[in-house]
Order: sequence, then C-alpha cells, then structure tokens
Amino acid sequence: MTISALTAARAGLVSCGTCGLLAAPTSPAAPGHCPRCGARLAARRRGSVETTWALVIAAAICYVPANLLPVLGTTTLGSTEYDTIMGGVVFLFTSGSWPLALIVLIASVMVPLGKLLALAYLLITVQRGSVASNRERTRLYHLVVFIGRWSMLDVFVDTFTVALVQLSPLMSVQPGAGVVFFAAVVVLTMIAAESFDPRLIWDAGTETEPDVA
Amino acid sequence: MLPDPIDRATLPRATLTPPRRRRISAIWLIPLIAAAVAIGIAVNRIMNEGPTITIVFSSAEGVEAGKTFIKYKDVKIGQVTAVELYQEYSKVMVTARIDKHAAGLMVEDANFWVVAPRVTLSGVSGLGTLLAGNYIGFEQGHANRAGRRFVGLEVPPAVTIDQPGRQFQLKADDMGSLGIGSPLYFRRLQVGQVIAYALADDGKSVSIRVFVNAPYDRFVGTDTRFWNASGVDVSLGAGGLDLRTQSLVSLLIGGIAFESPGFAATSEPAAAGSAFPLYGDRTTAMKQPDTIARSYVLYFSESLRGLSVGAPLTLLGLPAGEVTQVGVDLDPVKLAVRGRVEVVAYPERIVARLQTQQSAAGQAIVQSEQATHAVFKRLVEERGLRAQLRSGSLLTGQLLVALDFFPEAGKPDVDWTQATPAIPTVPSTVPDLEAKVTAILAKIDALPFKAIGADLKKVIESLDKTLKDVNKAVNRIDTGLTPELVSTVTDLRRALDSADRLIKSTDATLLGEDAPGQIQLRDALEEIAGAARAVRGLSDYLERQPASLIRGKTEKTP
Repeated sequence: MTISALTAARAGLVSCGTCGLLAAPTSPAAPGHCPRCGARLAARRRGSVETTWALVIAAAICYVPANLLPVLGTTTLGSTEYDTIMGGVVFLFTSGSWPLALIVLIASVMVPLGKLLALAYLLITVQRGSVASNRERTRLYHLVVFIGRWSMLDVFVDTFTVALVQLSPLMSVQPGAGVVFFAAVVVLTMIAAESFDPRLIWDAGTETEPDVA
Repeated sequence: MLPDPIDRATLPRATLTPPRRRRISAIWLIPLIAAAVAIGIAVNRIMNEGPTITIVFSSAEGVEAGKTFIKYKDVKIGQVTAVELYQEYSKVMVTARIDKHAAGLMVEDANFWVVAPRVTLSGVSGLGTLLAGNYIGFEQGHANRAGRRFVGLEVPPAVTIDQPGRQFQLKADDMGSLGIGSPLYFRRLQVGQVIAYALADDGKSVSIRVFVNAPYDRFVGTDTRFWNASGVDVSLGAGGLDLRTQSLVSLLIGGIAFESPGFAATSEPAAAGSAFPLYGDRTTAMKQPDTIARSYVLYFSESLRGLSVGAPLTLLGLPAGEVTQVGVDLDPVKLAVRGRVEVVAYPERIVARLQTQQSAAGQAIVQSEQATHAVFKRLVEERGLRAQLRSGSLLTGQLLVALDFFPEAGKPDVDWTQATPAIPTVPSTVPDLEAKVTAILAKIDALPFKAIGADLKKVIESLDKTLKDVNKAVNRIDTGLTPELVSTVTDLRRALDSADRLIKSTDATLLGEDAPGQIQLRDALEEIAGAARAVRGLSDYLERQPASLIRGKTEKTP
C-alpha cells in the first residue's frame, strides 16, 4: 500500500463528483463550480461522515421497532394473528423448515444489522484515521452498496402479500407497523451508504488531511 | 514615526480563521425523528399494557400461548402469553396479558372459563370456536379489590352477572334429575334455569340456586311455590291416574316449575336470594299452607285395606285433610280389636271455600282449637256428622275417609276434652253393599222351594188329567160322528155325479159342433149379417143421393 501515490487532493485539484472532470478549484475553502457540467465542486463530499453517521443512527433506531413490532397481521376466520420477523423465523424453524427460517433470518435480520455495523465500522475507522486494510474496507463498502438494493425484497413481499390475500371473510392480511420501520431501515442504510465517501478511507496517512467534518 | 523600526517579517501574523460553522447539520433531524417515533410507539405500548394475570384451570383445552384471547362480550380484552403446568402437574396455569382498557375488570371474583364447542341437552353453545379456535371467556365480578390470580371455571356460568333477573334459593330433599342448566318454567314458559346446587352441610338436603330472567322474576312472589317438574309425574291415587309433564326437554334433563297458588292474595315480589322449599310435585306444592291442623282419631270396626297414610279426608267430598296414621286399637279388657285411623283436618281448606262474607267468621272459628272442636261437636251431635271409609277409586281400591252427615245416626258419646277427639264412624258403604247382597242371597235361600215344588207337581198332574180328558173327548167325536159323516160324503158324491151328467148333456145340446141349437144360432147370425150389409148399402146410397128419399131411386149410377 503506497501512500505516496499522487492524488487529486495532493495536487490541489478537485474531481467533479458528477462528471469526473479534474479541475483546479478557485480556492481550497470554496472550490467553486465545475466548468463542464456546472455541478458544485468539492474535494470530498461535504459533511459525508456527519451525514452518514446521522443516517446510520436513525437506521439503528428504526431497526429496533422493525424487529419488535409485527410486520404482518393474518386474519383467519375472525381471529387475527400478528407476526414479527423473529416470530416468523421461529415459526418456520419450529414447523420444520429450517432452511427457510435461515434465509429469512439472514435476509431480514442479519443483513440489515450487518449493514449498520459495517457502516459504523467504516465511519469509525475513517474518523480514527486508520490506515490498515484500506482495500478490505473499500470492498466492504462496495458490498454494503450492492446489498442495499436487494434489501427492499422483504418490504416488497410484504406489500404483495397484503395486496393479494384479501379474501375478506375467510382470510385477509394486513401490514403491521413493523414493516414501515423495516423499510425505513433499508432506505436509511442505502442513503447512508451513498452519502459515505469511500475516498476518505484512503485519505488517512496522506499528507493532505482533508476536512472530514 | 516609530523609534524602533519593527521587522515586520518577524512579527507574528494574525490568522484568518474562517467562522467555525459549528451549527448542527440538518441531517440530524432524521435520527431525531426516528427516535421520536420509536419512543412514541414504545411509550404508547407501555401505556397500553395492562396487568398480567394468571388463571389456573384443570385443563386448558385448546388454549395456546400467543393465540388464545380472553374475550368479554365477544370483545378481546387480553391474550394468553404462556401456558404451563402447575401444582404437581395437576393443573394448568395460564398467564395472560390484559389490555389496559380492561384492567379495571380484573377484580378478585371475576370468572374465567374456556369457551369450547359444547353440546348439551339444553342446547349447543360455542359453535364459533369450531372455526376461530377456543378462547377464554370472562365474567365480571362484584369485588372492589383488584385480583391478579384467578381460578378458572370448568363450565361456563349459566347466567352472566349483568343479565337482568334475580336469583332464588330452593331447598329440596334431593336433586331429582336436575342439573345445572335445567330449565325453570312458569306457565310452561322457560323463564330461567338452575345455576348452581350444593349439598347442605348436614347432608340432609340440597340447596339449588335458580335464576329467573327479567321480566319474569316479578312473578316470583313471597308465596310462590316451586316444584320439581322433572320427567313425567305419574301419580296413581284415590284421585285416579294423574300424569303431568312440563316439556320434552324437562322430560330429558329435568326442570323446575313455579306458580303462585290461586288462593293466595296478591303478594309483593320476593327479594332476590329468597329461599323457597322445592316440592316434589305440583299437587303438593299447590296445597294450601296448612298452618292450622286439628287431629282427630277414628275407630273403624272394618277392614282398613286400601287406606294409606296420606289418603284424603273429605268433607262433603271436598278435601279437608289427610290420614296421618293407620293402626289398630286393642282393648285389653274386652280384647276388642278395631282399626284406629288418625286424621288431620285442615279447617282452613274448608274456610277457603266459603263465600267471602262468611270466611271471616270461619277464620275466627278455625283460629281457636276450642271453637273448632265446639263446631265439630255440634255437627256430630246435632247434624249427625260421621266418618266413613269410602272407595276413592274403583280401579285402585284406594280408600279415603269421608266426613258426611247421617241425620238418622243417634247421639254419640264423644270425649271432646281430649287433644285428639274421636269422631264417631259409620260402617262404610262398601261393606254395606256386601251386606245387602248377602241379605238378598239369604232371602233367596229362605224361599219355600219345596212347597213350590209340590205345588208345581200338583199343577202338572191336573194338567195331565185335563189333557187326558181332551183325548177322551176327541175319541168320542171320532166314534160317534164318523159313520154318519161317511154316508153324507157318499150322498154328496152321488149328487155330484148327477150334476156332472147334467152338465155333459147340456154340453151336447147346446154347445156341441152339431148341436141343433148351435146350427140355428149360426143361421140366425148369417141372416143378421145379410141384413146389416143391406142397411149399409142403403146408407151409402142415401149419403150420395140424399134426394132419393124424396124422388126415389134413379137409374143413373155414378
């Protein structure tokens, strides 16, 4: 890992975040606008760490009710049963289909939690100026971004079930409050992953200390 | 002018510090909102969380943690959170979380029971649970103190606490075929049911709690009689065969009926929880409350077969009391054995049948024992009141004791000072009938059959003689008359013969083919016929030529 590699920041240049044009900023404090596409230039995304932190914390808060509140209410012949995600996992496991239980557990419980932990880890290491395993951390970041778009699958299935299973006197399904929180967790982590600037991982240990605030 | 030129280059330079933008970024609103919402939901949850209670059941049929609800008036008021064994595995303890809005219902004497489909003879209940699963039923209590530990009922309570109506206590000798849920009838209309029963502490009676639904509970007055209407009530007594039943349901599962007796004045409704005796049957129940009883003893010198304790005592055929004891009386000196029957008279029953104007005076008499005895004494001495055994029913041969008037009976000797005076008796009509038949037979027996026989013989002999005389007379007629009769007959035959000849000769002269009379007659007839033809020709001619009568016959013929 060579830290002497030439970077735009070290050269006093700014890469446009939108079109990628390498341009000389008007001043380091106020880089101005991109001469090609007109986007606002910034050496690193402005307030990236702060924004990401805020979103990660919001997602972590939402994660609690997402798992405690029921995501689905099933009404069968007059009696309504509400199920949480973990309740569904336990039901699947006790009814013998443990592979399904495992899938639900990983997709709906472990993955959101993992994303939150991964983002928090990235943020902490960036703030501490860690220089170790930058490549692995970058790979982790890409994984988080990649998984993000698939995490809405649970919400998708939930809404589809609610829309389709409406055989009113016999059986009907209502969404629970938990699914809203679950969707919030997914959306917030996706935005958090987008707002995180992976270049910050590589900034540590270079001469040019960017404004990470 | 500065005395000491300063090397500007050595002076520290002021730094330009950009205004520190320490204001918090707007992005932090997102976690704040998320936290607010999450905390809001959590607080709401905690605020709505009611008490956790435990209910002990002997079996928790169909009760599942997380799936079984507690319902009151079909509204969910809680949910079972755990089901576990309890008390050396003999019971089931159900833990349930009650909703906040129903927390006030959890008082000490609230009741819980498992609602399952139930099919009993009196009906089917809980069918809804077949589809939706069993649930725990709840029934409000009266207590003010909150309770958290309850013992569940095995069967649903028959009536709910808020059901309008009243409970009454019945005391019976035995349960009969009654049970919880047995119907209660008023004029054969089901107005309530048995809700509980318990054996008395001394084990000598049962106390049955019944619930009468509003508005029928107002018909339960202080004088109302309850009786066991279970099954078919067949009584075969001196009154004949009596068969009563309330309904087919009560036939199967028993029932209680109540009614206010007609003789009772309108009474105020009974207070809730009032105790009533439960009579065995309607007849017993509807009897006049015999508060005044006068005992008398009767001595009969005839068979008491068919007379049982409880047999009616009648006055002029109206029920006036009953037989309380049937025994014998032995006179140790004379060794005379006679039947002794103790009866109890209820004078009120007779007074109840008096006209309203007279009943007040009657009441005055029956209230005092002396007055009653005095009336009886006068009746016995002046009007000839006597007791008599009578057949109540020819079918069953049951006897009853009848008080009736026999004016021809003499003045008896009765000690009216005794506690139980002896009313004189007369022999019953049943032995009377026997005596009459015997007397008739005796009379028949006394008839002079021998003399009658001798007379009859004489009559027959004279009849025989008469017949012989008749025979003789006939013989005389035979011998005396017959020869003359024969000659007469011969003469008669001769006369007939000559008559016959005469007729034959007449035939030959007058009617024969060649008899001269016949020929002459024929000729004469032919002549007459010719004359007739001529007359006809003449008449025809005259018709055509009437003028010929005047002018004569013309030659011209038409």
